[in-house]
Amino acid sequence: MKDMTTGTGLRRAPHAARAAAALLLLALTAAPAHAGPNEQAKRIYERIAGVPPSAAVLQQMSTAISSQPGQPGLMAAAAIATSAPSFYNVTLKNFAMPWTNRNATVFAPLNDYVATVIGMVRDNVPFNTALSADILYTSNAPGLPAPSPANNNHYATAETNGVDLMATLVQGTQSGVYGTPTAATAGLITTRGAASAFFVNGTNRAMFRFTMINQFCNDMPTLMDITRPADRIRQDVARSPGGDSRIFLNNCVGCHSGMDPMAQAFAYYNFDATAGQMVYTPGQVQPKYLINATNFPFGFVTPDDSWSNRWRSGANTVLGWSASLPGSGNGAKSLGTEWESSATFAQCQVTKVFQAVCFRAPVSSADLATVASITSSFTSGGYNLKQVFQLSAAACPGQ
Amino acid sequence: MHAALGSTMDKLLTRRALQVGAAVLTLAALAACSSSGGAPTTVNQSSGGTAQVQTYTGPPAQNADIQAFQVNLWQNIIPANRCGGCHHQGGQSPMFARSDDVNLAYQAALPLVNLTNPSQSTLVLKVGGGHNCWVADPSACALTMTTWIQNWIGQGSSSTTTVQLIAPPVQTAGGGKQFPADPTVGNPSYQSTVYPLLTRFCSGCHNPASASPQQPYFADPNNIDAAYIAAQPKIDLAQPDQSRFYVRLATEFHHCWPTASSNGAPDCPGSSAAMLAAITAFANGIPVTPIDPSLVVSNALSLTQGTIASSGSRFEGSLIAKYMFETGQGSTAYDTSGVSPEADLTLNGNVTWVGGWGLAFAKGSSAQASTSSSVKLANMIQESGEYSIEVWAAPADVAQTNAWILSYSGSNTTRNVTLGQAADQYEGFTRSSVTDTNGMPPLVTTTTNGAAQAALQHIVLTYDPVNGQKIWVNGVFTGDVDPSKGGSFANWDSSFALVLGNETSGQRQWQGVIKMVAIYNTALNQTQIQQNFAAGVGQKYFMLFGVSSLTGVNQSYIEFTASQYDNYSYLFAQPKFISLDPNATVPANLNLAAIRIGVNGQLAPSGQAFSTVSTTLGGSNYTAANGQLLSPLGTVVPVQLGAANDLFFLSFDQLGSSSHTFVDPPGTPTSPTPNNTPVPDFGVATFERVNNAFSRITGVPITDAVVQPMYMSAQQAMPATPLISAFISSQQTAISSLANAYCGELMANASWRDAFFGSGLDASLSASSSGFFGASGSANRAIVINALSNNAVGANVAPQAAAAVQSEVDALITRVPQINAAATVTQTTVAACTATLASAVVTLQ
Repeated sequence: MKDMTTGTGLRRAPHAARAAAALLLLALTAAPAHAGPNEQAKRIYERIAGVPPSAAVLQQMSTAISSQPGQPGLMAAAAIATSAPSFYNVTLKNFAMPWTNRNATVFAPLNDYVATVIGMVRDNVPFNTALSADILYTSNAPGLPAPSPANNNHYATAETNGVDLMATLVQGTQSGVYGTPTAATAGLITTRGAASAFFVNGTNRAMFRFTMINQFCNDMPTLMDITRPADRIRQDVARSPGGDSRIFLNNCVGCHSGMDPMAQAFAYYNFDATAGQMVYTPGQVQPKYLINATNFPFGFVTPDDSWSNRWRSGANTVLGWSASLPGSGNGAKSLGTEWESSATFAQCQVTKVFQAVCFRAPVSSADLATVASITSSFTSGGYNLKQVFQLSAAACPGQ
Repeated sequence: MHAALGSTMDKLLTRRALQVGAAVLTLAALAACSSSGGAPTTVNQSSGGTAQVQTYTGPPAQNADIQAFQVNLWQNIIPANRCGGCHHQGGQSPMFARSDDVNLAYQAALPLVNLTNPSQSTLVLKVGGGHNCWVADPSACALTMTTWIQNWIGQGSSSTTTVQLIAPPVQTAGGGKQFPADPTVGNPSYQSTVYPLLTRFCSGCHNPASASPQQPYFADPNNIDAAYIAAQPKIDLAQPDQSRFYVRLATEFHHCWPTASSNGAPDCPGSSAAMLAAITAFANGIPVTPIDPSLVVSNALSLTQGTIASSGSRFEGSLIAKYMFETGQGSTAYDTSGVSPEADLTLNGNVTWVGGWGLAFAKGSSAQASTSSSVKLANMIQESGEYSIEVWAAPADVAQTNAWILSYSGSNTTRNVTLGQAADQYEGFTRSSVTDTNGMPPLVTTTTNGAAQAALQHIVLTYDPVNGQKIWVNGVFTGDVDPSKGGSFANWDSSFALVLGNETSGQRQWQGVIKMVAIYNTALNQTQIQQNFAAGVGQKYFMLFGVSSLTGVNQSYIEFTASQYDNYSYLFAQPKFISLDPNATVPANLNLAAIRIGVNGQLAPSGQAFSTVSTTLGGSNYTAANGQLLSPLGTVVPVQLGAANDLFFLSFDQLGSSSHTFVDPPGTPTSPTPNNTPVPDFGVATFERVNNAFSRITGVPITDAVVQPMYMSAQQAMPATPLISAFISSQQTAISSLANAYCGELMANASWRDAFFGSGLDASLSASSSGFFGASGSANRAIVINALSNNAVGANVAPQAAAAVQSEVDALITRVPQINAAATVTQTTVAACTATLASAVVTLQ
């Protein structure tokens, strides 16, 4: 760090740190027993917008809380907070960033996946189209490289330049911006960010698993069901791993019997790491679906991108699949519709928001009831994720 | 000559005559070349190692086929410890092992061989049934005899055999009997019936505490639970007289014991009757597990009631050692190549037999041949200058390194040849004139193709002088080039031993399952390797599940190709609908929906791969010869009672007019158990929140030229999660550093500074801190204290926190001159600002 006007910045930092630590302890022990409108307003703003409010905004929110007792006032205050740019530039960005990479890290450059989530929230786009729509948000801020299917420069530069995403994001389509066939678009799944993380190498099962983790709030061990038919498990899955077929019959089959029939929807997708862009080959199954065929020659050979949801029967019926959908189809778009129409998808979105806003997992009886209530509002109210943030903030404004 | 064999024999004789003619020409050519000093490569006669051929003084073979008989079969069976002990001249008829006249022996042997299916020859069936087998395992004798006969009549003779499907016995798919979990429970129990006989008469060997222990340890007197598990595969609860415990005594005369009426002599009828009575009593006391009466089911059968499927033909032209691991018990794995001396393997340590043929190697295990029998490898391979090692193996994992699958070596550092695994790579070490005595440098497959997987793989290591070593996995050459090709084997050491799963030192443990090993003294070519890969490994059966009563089609079956896949499962593949009646007609609209495999009265809980089958039987999809393929897939079905006992059946959702609605186990909504333990109601601002909060408070943009690089370098040191319990001191330091950068920039820019503090500091930035700020309570101190409090905490918000900030900042302004008497107003203000920004009033949300 360079000397900031005095040349003593570095020498002062340790003292400052000690003082700060002392203040931290002080504040922890001196937290107010009962929060008034100002305190509630400050907390709601900080939780939603990620930064302290200005005096004017604080006053505005405090007034809103005071003038309408109970949840209406809190909701009105929260609505003020969700209009802050930092809600989009900070909170939402960090909210969605872990969904876009395998390590679930927030320390990653802005990408089209995250920008699209931010844009959908800003514009109140029903979030139950997030895994199927032909949608993409780009920034119209000046000085940015054009959006490209072959690199992330547009978004990374926007972040580096401190572009206000709230003000500059523009809704477009993946087919229009990237040239992806409309039928091949599947919302966040087919963004470049998701493709580069989950269609790269491997067998495309990563897209399935990480979508389950990020959008269903369930990893495979909590979804496995060994009773499902094993007919669609591909040849690359050894039926006797290490010479012990009990492992297959008691473990492997539990995930693969449900996963492989659904991940078949991605049979035409790949991410070309050299070219840096997603590849879609309609009618032609990607070679990655046919690798290691000699592991079990009697396994399933993927002929096309037809998928089937075997979890509509058995233990995973509890995921709440839509009765108005057939449970099978071709390609990622219809599979995305299947997923985003489930009850678990909606519940997962609310759970994630609650945790992001309230800084705790909803595990207490009261919090579970709150999440159930917000989920109900979410699904019946047009899948408005912004409103979920407001409801969650209103649910934990401080006592 | 047997009339039925005439046509085939004529062809064979013609072929033999051509082969002999070619051999004569070859010999002539070799003789012509010998003076030039060349080293021609010759293919070994696989059974040429026996000595009897040199002592035969009888009439010479009258034709080429008799000569082939002499070389390949006769000289192997005439020793007195084999067939020649009885079936010699003047001995027991038929005298096919007479040593006085090979032509007469040939005539006597012809009726005893099956030229279309050598494995069904009388000679093979006899020794396979235990009749004077010269090793402890009749199945090993059967394999060896089959090899000799195949060598006689020509390679691949079984490859064109058409398997004749045989209708299985009609058994109703009733419930099956399950072994009670507890050997001491039952009426009568295992403990009171079979176990006493085993512990009394079999514990001399089948007991881990024995001086010569032999697996399986079903007669362990000290551990009935382990003994009970080991005994179950040997007991047939449905058909007690098919139990191995009984058959071994009754027809194979294996260690019969004296009975009261035998005057101390072994009494096989008596001891087998006692065993049968005990097994029958035990089986009769076990109730039948009822089958769901609503199911639409086929007839039932066990794996071994299926028709044996001849595997595809294998190329074994230059075979010198072969292990099929068919024995399934004991401490010896037999070399069934038919090439003397047999390099039988002694099992050491933690080696166990695998169902469906194979050996499982765990930690502390190996299977090793003697050096005296291994010497044939050196002799025959040195002679040809080439070799191939073919292994069907399933590595336990792809993490093990320095793990020898097969080695012909003397120590950790001296070897002739080794096939090893190094994580997901295979490696070959071959000692030659261009390597050291440890076979270095090795051929290692590249990491990129991930050759080794924890699945059953067909691995072949070949060597020829031109290419050196080549590794083939599942019939495909890995493409890796041997760094040391072009060598000869003149420096091979014939005192080494063949060992599987380890080094002779016991220090190169490989873990996994080996299902077959074959060693050749030529380098197999791609066609031959792919032929052997396609032939597969293990015994396969065609299982015919009768469905005539459901379809109305005479002798109709659902046929599965099945085999024991490993110790824990069977492989069921490629179901077909077929009728054994060639004139049967399949009615129109005969629908089939969902096939589920059941075992012992219950549907297998997992792995059902045919429950989605839905088709109409008959029509153009059906032919009388090949039936109708219902699915190209396969699946594994768990072993319950062992291959002899598990009784399979099929269940259908619909077949013809019969139907059953299968109900999936319902999903049970599970509400999470609430955890009402109080948790913190606040959290720490995460990295980007901190950055933006500082920016919002100070007015310094996040893109500031000083702040932005600082943030980029410090962001990952700041909190990534708001969890207060995850907050650590280094994160506080990073936050403080960033705060210091913001405050420095704030003070450096007049516009930002004035917006924050007002203009009261502007004229005194370089003035003495102590002089400007004076004592506590001064107006100049209030400029800084109030600005920080109002901007960082806010007016009318958290008055306690605001008071704390004001107090601490005031104290800090007092302390700074005490630390640095020359401190300026700017320095003190930056310090106060940093302390405030990085404090809990900002970072705690």
